[in-house]
Formats: sequence, structure tokens, C-alpha cells
Amino acid sequence: MNKILETSKLSAGYGALRVLHEIDFLISEGERIAIVGLNGHGKTTLFRALTHLVGWQQGSIILNEKEIGGRRALGAGRKTPSIIHAGISMAPQGDAIFPGLTVEQHLDCGAYTKESWKNRSSKKEQIYEIFPPLETLKKSLVGKLSGGERRMVSIGRMLMEEASLYLVDEPSLGLAPKISENVIKALLKVEIKNSAMIIAEQNVRILKGNVDRMVGMHAGRLRGDIGHIALG
Amino acid sequence: MSIFKLNSDKQITLQAIGQKSREYKLRPKNNSIWKKFRIPMSRRHLLKWRTSYNKKSLIKERRLEDKRPLWWFISLISFAVSIPWLSNFALSAVAIFCIYASINLLWSLTLGTAGIFSLATMAVVGVSGYIAATANVYFGVPWPLMFVIGTIAGLIFGGFLALPSSRLDGLYYALLTLGLAEICRVFISQIHALTPTNGSINNVSSFIPEDWYLQRPGLLLGAASSFILLLLALLIYRLVNGETLGRKLQVARDDEEFAEAIGINYHSARLKVFLISCAGLGFIGAFYAMYFRSISLGVFSLDQLMLLFAMIVIGGTGRAEGAVFGTAIVILIDRGLFELGPMRIVIIAIVMILVTTYASNGITGIREQFRNFRHRFQTQKRSLITTKGGEIMPEEAIDIHNKQIIYSRRFNSRLRNYLKTLINDEVIAEHKANPVGKHSYELTRLLNYFRKAEVPDKYAVAQIGPLKDSQYKIFAFTGDPEKAPRVVDERVYSSKNEAYHAIFLLRVNDLLES
Amino acid sequence: MDLNLIIYALNLAAIYSLMAIGISLLWSSVGMINMAHGATFVVSGYSTFIASGWLVPILKASLAGTAFYTPVLVFSLTSVALLSGAIFGAIIYLIAFLPLHDKPNFAIRSLIATLAINIVTVQFLLWSFGPRQKALPKLFGFGRIDFLDFSIRYDQAATIIGTLLLVGFMLLWFKNSRIGLEIRAMMQNPEGAALSGISIRRRALPVMMLTGSLAGMAAILLSQTSFFSPTAGALPLIKGLTIALLGGLGSVAGAMLGALIIGILEVITGEISFLGQRYVLLIQFVFIVIVLIIRPRGLGGLLDETRK
Repeated sequence: MNKILETSKLSAGYGALRVLHEIDFLISEGERIAIVGLNGHGKTTLFRALTHLVGWQQGSIILNEKEIGGRRALGAGRKTPSIIHAGISMAPQGDAIFPGLTVEQHLDCGAYTKESWKNRSSKKEQIYEIFPPLETLKKSLVGKLSGGERRMVSIGRMLMEEASLYLVDEPSLGLAPKISENVIKALLKVEIKNSAMIIAEQNVRILKGNVDRMVGMHAGRLRGDIGHIALG
Repeated sequence: MSIFKLNSDKQITLQAIGQKSREYKLRPKNNSIWKKFRIPMSRRHLLKWRTSYNKKSLIKERRLEDKRPLWWFISLISFAVSIPWLSNFALSAVAIFCIYASINLLWSLTLGTAGIFSLATMAVVGVSGYIAATANVYFGVPWPLMFVIGTIAGLIFGGFLALPSSRLDGLYYALLTLGLAEICRVFISQIHALTPTNGSINNVSSFIPEDWYLQRPGLLLGAASSFILLLLALLIYRLVNGETLGRKLQVARDDEEFAEAIGINYHSARLKVFLISCAGLGFIGAFYAMYFRSISLGVFSLDQLMLLFAMIVIGGTGRAEGAVFGTAIVILIDRGLFELGPMRIVIIAIVMILVTTYASNGITGIREQFRNFRHRFQTQKRSLITTKGGEIMPEEAIDIHNKQIIYSRRFNSRLRNYLKTLINDEVIAEHKANPVGKHSYELTRLLNYFRKAEVPDKYAVAQIGPLKDSQYKIFAFTGDPEKAPRVVDERVYSSKNEAYHAIFLLRVNDLLES
Repeated sequence: MDLNLIIYALNLAAIYSLMAIGISLLWSSVGMINMAHGATFVVSGYSTFIASGWLVPILKASLAGTAFYTPVLVFSLTSVALLSGAIFGAIIYLIAFLPLHDKPNFAIRSLIATLAINIVTVQFLLWSFGPRQKALPKLFGFGRIDFLDFSIRYDQAATIIGTLLLVGFMLLWFKNSRIGLEIRAMMQNPEGAALSGISIRRRALPVMMLTGSLAGMAAILLSQTSFFSPTAGALPLIKGLTIALLGGLGSVAGAMLGALIIGILEVITGEISFLGQRYVLLIQFVFIVIVLIIRPRGLGGLLDETRK
């Protein structure tokens, strides 16, 4: 099975502050895993370090056999677009949305390669199947939608392009329980044959049993195996 | 890593280690180190001497912690002394340098200290200059009073400018004030009563007597008086920036909410600095009119303003050295390379672009930039070695005075590494079977280490319920006598041994991760 | 009010809006203040001047007197102006955007860098062409259209219609093209845009070329009524900056509305007898300051939602 993403001794943080401490992490093709942990312990920072939005300090990130780490992020992610093109798609915490654009235009934005731009209509149909409410809201301004709908738009945009690695940050954050269940159920249904998906979540209950692996994150370190899991 | 060397005379010499090894230190012989000169009638010292005993050699050492006053003094004195020897051309360049440097110093006060991004400097200077010149030429006010009028005009104008500054966003304010100079120019050029000849007021009386003007004595006087102007500007900069107002604003720059929370009225301090600098600019405006014995619309020109801005940018904002140094460089290029014609402006612009691209705070900020870079580089290098787990690197060891800390940390990290190798499944099974009985050597070592842990965050078993039927939970002490122990998790154990074993597992886990 | 005055006001408003939109657009999509916009203006003017010196004799020789003469002249000179504006915009991109865009304090540093470019350009032009003013050929002749009660000069008509066409075309392109979509995304959420694979680095170039050609259009339109000199860029730059501020940085609609208001204000001030032409700039400035004090973000907040 192919390795999609492998990090070794990845440390990242803000300026002199170090938030992630020597993360060793491996995810392979077809895996859907969840990173769980309380807020403020580094899940979002991990995602942002992978997409070069936050200061990389040390360690290597290998995506599909190519090194994408190793560069300090001075501004807001100079290398981010190229990393996205290399195959990572992310739906960040709090949604990457453009308040003045319509739902349809958002999904168009997600299709950044030439082929996907040409095929964007069919791809959009697929997204409407995954998130039915979006179809009726096609022409509405995203700035006027509710939280759950915005979340769906953000994740829909992420799914418009075939990526090797999907990163979803806190899909249930700020949503009512029923809506967040729908969103996460939709995420779990997404087919990932040649790719992998990492979901960062606080809400373990929904994900339990539906993902291949659950990894804990505490104080900037991954704690997967003994310890917490063994104790309960 | 011995820093001692015994040479053949059995005398101890010190090796240079550390960051300030090349610093020159005085070795005072007697107890005069305890006496420091103070300025009469105040508690100020002249220079920042620091005396201490060297920890290794026990020799008294005295060093000058802040050498900048020394550099300023030397530069200013040599500058002043060289004035009589300069050519006429150089004298006028010197005078222009001093005037521009004074303007830039006051402008730095607004930009750096007060944090108001105002580009209205030349507008203030020009308008005050015009008002002072008008008073002199059309109303017969004698020239000493022109200074007063100029200052007051600057103050009033500054008052008008200050009004929108708190309402408008920094960049908006900057762009608006940019237009201000141009508007003043157009406006004044249209007041025909004032400026019959293409916008300028001529025959302004001055401190330079009329027959000296444009002759060598006049030039000397002009250069000397503009030097005094520069000194005055430096004094104002020092008084505002280094004293109360400046310090308050420094706190506010670092953290605005904190400043408000401790009672610093950030806005009023900012306004005061702005007004002071505008008043100073008004004074300079009057001086300008008197030095040139006239004032023309060129004072409002956008190119002139941009040139001054270039000086500040090249030198670096926020520091007096930056303003003066930047002015010096640009004037040097402007006057020194006069033969190149318009090319010299191109050179200045190219220098501007280079400085903006590569130096984050102008030329005087390069040292700081380099230090930050080197610090970051070293931290990164050092962080690659942190897998040693808590041992202290030699460079850091020098700064720590109590060496016992170094030794105990080294010991503890080695102990932990050893103990980690002792952990295996057998030991855990052994403890599970028999938490309180006789243990093997490895298990005993581990348990001793765990039991010697510090109280804060130490796990403990709490007994809940009546004695016969009690249940057990795991807590952790907080180490603070007033706080209750905190709950570790919700699990309840039915026997003490189970609880002990659970604590053992937790402690093993913590050890493995430390 | 005299309809001729309205036409005059629209004329001014059109030219001002071209400059203001250029500045506003660049700020909100790329985060850069372009102090060299005035330089772009002047460079386009001079390029057109050179081109016309070269082109007019040829055209006169071949097409003089025919109906084709004017349209061909207009078309070619306008293209030269737009093209030179775009090229200069690309030059500014290379010097002031690329090296600086990922460094801290980008806005101020780009201000300084574009300032330096402005200085160099003005000096270069002074050195090549001398400080005296030059005139560009009248593109539209001296005729007037008589329409209902009022008459419009040809060039005024061309200005208003031309500006509306250009801006309209630009807005349409914005709304419907992929690049336009990406630029709007960049304006509204730079991080989200980066995560959608939109690279500011690559998209800034078309924006700068576009705003450059807007300045070029303003140059050729303004040249119909006034002369050109190397320092002629200062006043349009300042007007563009202040009107962009008035409209709210980032709002194209706000810039146009602001330009309209300022144009009308200028005409009104000129007509009031005891004020007259010389108070125009001052009144405009005071007006803008007052509006900004009341609404620090400019008029644009009413109209659409953008970044800053």
C-alpha cells in the first residue's frame, strides 16, 4: 500500500514558540483516520504546518514520496498554493469561505486544475449528491448562509479536486448536534480509493468505529498507543 | 571544557568564551568603583558604567554598558569642529543636512514613538514658514519673534491635523496627509496678495545679517546655527522619547490593552507627542525662512517630501540614529555626486528599493536584524540536539550562575534514560501481580524513582466510601496547600491493589514520555 | 443647473474614477499601495506622444480625409496607451511586488518601493524629455454634438462613453472569467484563496497590468484637455488616492461613486463666484476628510463586502 503522507520529527510553531514537538506520523492509501484531542493542543497547527500556513521549524514532511516541508513560512503560506497543487486539500477550522461569492462560485474555486475546471459541472453534481441542501442554495451568497451550510460549502470546495490527502479540521465545530452528524456522515461516505483523509475532531463519539484509526494529540505530541488508550 | 589555562608562570589566564568576550573592560584598582559622577542637582549619571566581580578570576571589572552616547558625542564634536574648514559648497550642504535631519528627527518622533503615520511634515513646515515670513515682511515683526510665531503656527496646524488621526486608520491617514502638502501649495499659490512673485515671499529678515548673506561669514553662521538647530532637535527627541511620554508609548506599542489596563492614557500621550513635534516643525519652518531669507512653494513639493521620507526609510524608523544617518547618506549622494545630475536621484531611489527589500528596519536596524537571524539560526541548530533530553549546552551553561542546576539536570536525564530501559512487560506484570510485596531489583529501582517525585502532580489513591466497602479513585496532588487534589479520571477501582497498579501504569507512561 | 456643467462633471468623474479604481482594486486584491500609479499615467502619456509622432504622419499620408482616419488614429493611440500602461504595471510587479510580497510589513514596504519607482521614472522622463509641457494630438477633433438642449464636445463624449465601456467591460470580465473569480476570492479571504490553490503571486500580475492600463486610459483621455509634463502625474495620483479612500479602499463601486461626487463638487465650487477655481482642491479635500471622519471606511461599506 502506498504511503500518502509521512512526517518524521516534525516540529512547528509560531516564532520562537514551539507547538508541535517531533511528530512522527504515517498514513497510507485508503485510510481514513481521526486525530482527537482537546482544543489548543495542536490539531489545527498540525494541519496548518502541513499546508505551510504556520512556521515549520524542524523535521520532514513527505507527501507521495516528495518532500514538502523544510521551508519557513514567513508570510501567510507562500508555498501553500503549490502544496495544494501537489495534492493536499484542506477544509480549515471555521471555513475558508468568501462572503461575497455564491455557493456555486465557491465550488468553482475549488477546481484549480485545467481538467477539473472543464469537468466542474459533473463534479458539482457529485457534491450536490453528497450535500443535498447545497443544490437549492446554488445561487445564494455564502455570507448569508447558516453555519452548517457554510461548513458544507467549505467541505464541498475541498472535495472538488481529486487530492491525495484530505484534511478536515473540526467539521462539527459550532454546529448543532444533528447538523454536525449529517456533515460527518457525509464525510465518512466520501470514497477514498487512492487517497487518505484525516479528520481532526473533538467529538469522539461520532467517529468511533467509523474510522480506521484514532490518534490522540495532547500538548503537541501524538499519543496513539499505550497510555490513554490502554487506560481507557 | 576548561576555561582556565595554567601557563608556565602558574598564573591563571582566562579563555575567551561567551558572547561578549571581546568587550573591553576596565580594571579599577581601588574602591572608586562605588563612586559615580552625577549631574549636579539631579540623580542622572552621564554614562552607563557597570561594575562587577568576575566570577572566575575575582577581579573587579568595569564596563560601559551603553556605548551609544559615546559615539554620538564623538560624531557631533568632530562634526562641529570640522565646520570652519569646509568649503562654501560643503557648508551649504551641511546646513541643509542639519535642517533636514532636524525635520526627520521630529518626524521620527511622530512615526516611531507616537505611531501616527503622518506625511504632513512638509506641509506644517511650509505653512509655519509662510506665516512667519508674512508676519515679518508684511507686518514688520522682528525676526526673533518669527521663531515664536512659527512654533505657535505649527502647534495650531498640528491641532487640526491631530483631530482625524484617531478616527482614521493608519494608512488612510497617511494617504490623506500626503495630499495635504499639494493642497497647501496650490492654495498658497493662489493668494496673490501674499505672493506676487510666483508664490514666494522674499526679503525676510534673518539672524544672518544682510551683507553676510551668501558670503563666507554668512555661510559659516548659517551652518553653525543649523547645527545648533540639530542639537535642539536631538534634545527634544531625547526628552520626549526617553522620558515619560516615550516610555508610556513604548508600553502601548508592545501591548495596547495592557497599557490601558494599567492606566496609561495612550491616546493623550500620542497626541501630546504629535503636537510637540508639530510645534518643533513650526520652529524649523521659521528657521528655514530665515536661513534662506525667503520661502518658496518648493517647500511643499511632493518630491521633496518623498526625499525626506526616503531618508527616514533608508536610515531606519524609530531611532534617532536612523533619522540622522539616513539624512546623511542621502545628502551625501545628493550633493557629493552633483555632477551626475538626475542620475543621483536614481541612485537614491535604487538605494531605497534595496534597503526596503533586504533590511527590515533600515540601515541602522541591520545589526538587530542580523542578531535576530543568528539567534533564530542557533536556536534551530540547538533544537536539533534536544533529543539529549534536558541537558544544557555549553553556550547556555555560561549564562547560568548556579552550576549545581546543570549537574543535577544532567544526572536526572541520565537516570531517566537508564530507567526507561528497565521498563518491559515483565516488570509491569510483576507489579500487577504484587503491588506491595517484595520486588525484583528493576522494579524496586523504578518504584524508588516514582516515590521520590515532587509533590505537585504526584498521583495518589483516594479511598471513597465506608471502610468495608470502599472504592478507590486516583487523584493528583496540586502542591498548593489551599487547593484540593485534582481528579485524574473518573474510573473507580474496587481494590487498593488495582488502584496501585493503575498509578504505576500512569507513572510509567509519564516516564516514557519525558 | 446648466447641463453643460453636468457633462463637464461627468467628464472629470470619469477620469478620476479610472485612477481611483486602479488604486482601490490593487489594494484589496493584492494588498499593495501603488504610489507609482502617477508614473504609469505619465509614462503612458509619453509613450502615446512618441507613438503619435511616429504614427500620425503615416496615417495622414495614407488615410487623410477619409472616414477611416479618425477611428484608426483613435484605436491605435488608445491601444498604445493601454498597452504601455499594462507593461509599466508589469514592471512595477517585478520590482515592487515579487521581492516583497511575503515579507512582513508588505503594505508599507510596497509603498516605499513604488515611491522609489515613481522618483526614478520622473527623473528619467525629466532627463529625456525636459521639463516643458508637451501636447498630445487631439484625437477627436474639435466638433461638438448638439443634443437636445446641450452640446457635448467630442472628446467629452468619448471620455464618458469610453470610461463606461472600459470599466463595464472590466467588471463583466471580473464577474465571468475564471481569473476574475480568483481575484475576487483573493480580495475576500486571502487564506481561503491560498487553500483553494490560488496563488497570489501569479494572479497579481494580471491585476497590475489591468490597473496599469486603466491609468493609461486616463492619460489619453486627460491629454485631450491638458498638457503633459513629467511631473503631471502627481495631481492625478493624489486625486486617485483620495477618491479611492473616499470610496473605501477595495470597493470599485465606491470609487466610482466617490469620483462622481468629487467631479460634481469640483464643478459646483468652480461656479460659486466668491470661491472660484482656486478653492477647488481645498474644498474637495475638506469634504473627503469630513466623510472619512463620519465613516472611517469610506462610502464603500454601504455597497459591498471586501477585505479592508
